Amino acid sequence: MNYVDKDSFMHRLDPRVKVIVLVFFTVIVFLITRPVLIVIMFLSFLSVWTIVERLPSAGLIKTAKFVAGLMGFIILLQAIFYTGNTYILGPVPKDVWLIGGMGIKWEGIAFGLLLAVRLMALIVLMPMVLMTTPIHLFSLGLIRMGLPYKIAYMTTTSMNLVPTFESELGVIMDAQKMRGMTIFEEKGKRFRKMKAWVVLVVPLVIGAMRRAQMMGMAMDARAFGAFKTRTCIDSIRMRWSDWLTLILCLAYGAALVVLNWILR
Amino acid sequence: MDDKPVLKIDDLCYSYGGSTMALEHVSFEIRKNDFVAIIGQNGAGKSTILKNITGLLRPTEGHIYINGRDSKEMSVADISKEIGFVLQNPDRQLFADTVYEELAYGLRNAGLQEEEIKSRIAKTLEMIGMTGQEEMFPPALSKGDRAKVVIASVIAMNPGIVILDEPTSGQDFQGCYQIMNIAKELHDQGHTILFVTHHMPLVAEYAERTIVMAKRHVMMDAGACEVFSHPEELEKTNIRPPQITQLGQMLAKTMPLTRTTLRVEELGDDLMQLYQTKHSGNNGVSGCEHTLI
Amino acid sequence: MAEITTKEENGENTVVRLEHVSYRYPRTKNYVLHDVCIDIHQGEFIAVMGENGAGKTTFLSCLNSIIPNYYLGHMQGNVKVYGMDTKEHVVSEFSRKVGMVLEDPESQLFTTYVRNEVAFSAENMQVEPDEIRSRIDWALSIVGLTSYKDRETTALSGGQKQRLAIAANLAMKPDMLVLDEPTSQLDPIGTREVFDVIRRLRNEEKMTVVIATHKSEEIAEFADKVLVFSKGHVVAFDEPRKIFQDEELMKLCHIRPPQVSALVNYMNMKNAEIHRLPILLKEAGGEIEEWYSGGRKDG
Repeated sequence: MNYVDKDSFMHRLDPRVKVIVLVFFTVIVFLITRPVLIVIMFLSFLSVWTIVERLPSAGLIKTAKFVAGLMGFIILLQAIFYTGNTYILGPVPKDVWLIGGMGIKWEGIAFGLLLAVRLMALIVLMPMVLMTTPIHLFSLGLIRMGLPYKIAYMTTTSMNLVPTFESELGVIMDAQKMRGMTIFEEKGKRFRKMKAWVVLVVPLVIGAMRRAQMMGMAMDARAFGAFKTRTCIDSIRMRWSDWLTLILCLAYGAALVVLNWILR
Repeated sequence: MDDKPVLKIDDLCYSYGGSTMALEHVSFEIRKNDFVAIIGQNGAGKSTILKNITGLLRPTEGHIYINGRDSKEMSVADISKEIGFVLQNPDRQLFADTVYEELAYGLRNAGLQEEEIKSRIAKTLEMIGMTGQEEMFPPALSKGDRAKVVIASVIAMNPGIVILDEPTSGQDFQGCYQIMNIAKELHDQGHTILFVTHHMPLVAEYAERTIVMAKRHVMMDAGACEVFSHPEELEKTNIRPPQITQLGQMLAKTMPLTRTTLRVEELGDDLMQLYQTKHSGNNGVSGCEHTLI
Repeated sequence: MAEITTKEENGENTVVRLEHVSYRYPRTKNYVLHDVCIDIHQGEFIAVMGENGAGKTTFLSCLNSIIPNYYLGHMQGNVKVYGMDTKEHVVSEFSRKVGMVLEDPESQLFTTYVRNEVAFSAENMQVEPDEIRSRIDWALSIVGLTSYKDRETTALSGGQKQRLAIAANLAMKPDMLVLDEPTSQLDPIGTREVFDVIRRLRNEEKMTVVIATHKSEEIAEFADKVLVFSKGHVVAFDEPRKIFQDEELMKLCHIRPPQVSALVNYMNMKNAEIHRLPILLKEAGGEIEEWYSGGRKDG
């Protein structure tokens, strides 16, 4: 989820507000136990995404498809292994090999759904923040909030590398396609596809390791870490609109937590 | 002698999206056993052409015919059976534990039997001068050897056409020539070779024909000799003829040199002959002897 | 601008001194540098040549103390840069004096925008933002990327990235610039432009330049001295003219001379008796014309 250069409400928000709100809402998502409230959060994030920000949805849909599989797996796993007694399928008699005693429990399905819906909320929230904040301002925000700049740079440099990896992966895939790798163009065959990933991942990882070492060296060579603090050509300032947004978001999150407690 | 082109680019236009064109109305033909260099400034469209040829990108307009077939009807894998493509950075392709596995990959994908694979690998290693190194761990090899392994993995599949994208980047003088000599040997064996480079002396030494790209078009398509005879045109696409050619052109202003020379030995011979002529009175030097298409 | 560190012993402006330096990388047995003794003086333009694996990159890394401080490994002998022993100071103390441009542009660009990339090193040195902004303009104008100041670094071509890497090092206003094959991605004219930039830096800013490259024609034109490595040993350190005359040396180290020099060597093998070996295009033109018109035969 790369930065999209636009002028929008969130783009103009101070990065510190965005970081705090991101962390805050992530925590809230895990604190809340009523799925309906999380769905409300999900819908509110989605409406900001589409209506206020008008961010491109293509990436979101792609992620959603990918995550759908993961969510299904989580639900299934929880359905079988979560504690509970209300079986809607099974249990299989205990003497059956391997799956003896297992069944699909309602409690598990409910918990699985809760986890799934949390994931849904996060896959909208996180990209929304990342796509509206250029990485250097993200980093500056973290530093101004007291994070040592070395750690801030570690995070943001890795974030910067994601698009590089994507394009590297593209090049590597091209190279292998030209050696007859066709597996990714065939439908299904999930397992063989997974095996085929080795061919792509190995050069990527080796390349990444080489590059990481070079980058560390280059950063050192440009005096990174010479002093405890560093100057910056960019600056950020909290305006009243930033404070207001922050307060409103905190209030929203707090209200949801209270609601959650009331509805328990 | 085959006179149908093995590769025909017909009015190829390509756009990466939006209104900017990366290639405009590019047309040329490559015949069997040609040895062609593609040169031009960064951004002129060289890589884009290669990607269109290999099927990684598909023409926005126009056609590419590979051995008579329209590339639109061929998948990348189909094309890879007829065209071998060696990428610029060898490290992006190496993934296997051993040189043998690296070479075997493409051959297995093509459905060959293990016996056949073994013999092909042995032959290919011999050609690149790495016999007996089947068990080497590719990332541990030197840069030159890694590049050779990648070339080997492509030529093991025995494609009729071999395309090299900047085969000499990152190589030293020795590495450059080793790689180009492999290409030359392939050419001698009957393969068609296409290579993209910034290194003009290589073009002068190896290419029979040079296609010059400038701003998304083909600016010139002729023998290397002919191409380097137009330095002012080449300058527009950031190309300078090899130093030896420039020297010849400079001297031709005051001396009766009549041909554009591409190699040190050629200019040397021409000058020696002129000297003898001048200081003893005989015939001059003949015209440009380099074969055009 | 450029500090001159004088050596009391002989009063020269020696900025770099390697004394009997041998080095091997960690967990390896073989030394990649053997007994290297080199002096580099203020304002010199040094080209480093030799085949891949001969030790060029390792040598360059000694100049800003990346070796031995970042790579560890085992180093014998001393390297003194601007009077500081590389074993006794940290890398950042050298960074303000020595800029290093690596071969692969991708590995040395880590910010989103061009202007931030250039500012990075100066920010690390706690330079005031206003000063940094003027340095950004200066650095970008030197490398010819002024119109790209607010662009994303990913939008640049390979050659532009290489030039950006140079600008990013200039922001520190170093006294010495070390470059490892900075023109590998560039077309012929792009290459020439980078060398012109470097020469300008040497002439106008009085920078000392050390550059590893294979481009003999450019070396002949720009370099004061050529340092030749072979298998970790220094086999020559002399003017380009002397290096390109030495056919044995070039064969041993797999170095290609400028084509005009190769030409005269070839012709002399056929008894042309051209006495002065040209290394530059114009020179060669003059030499050959004189020879042709039956000209001078001095030694």
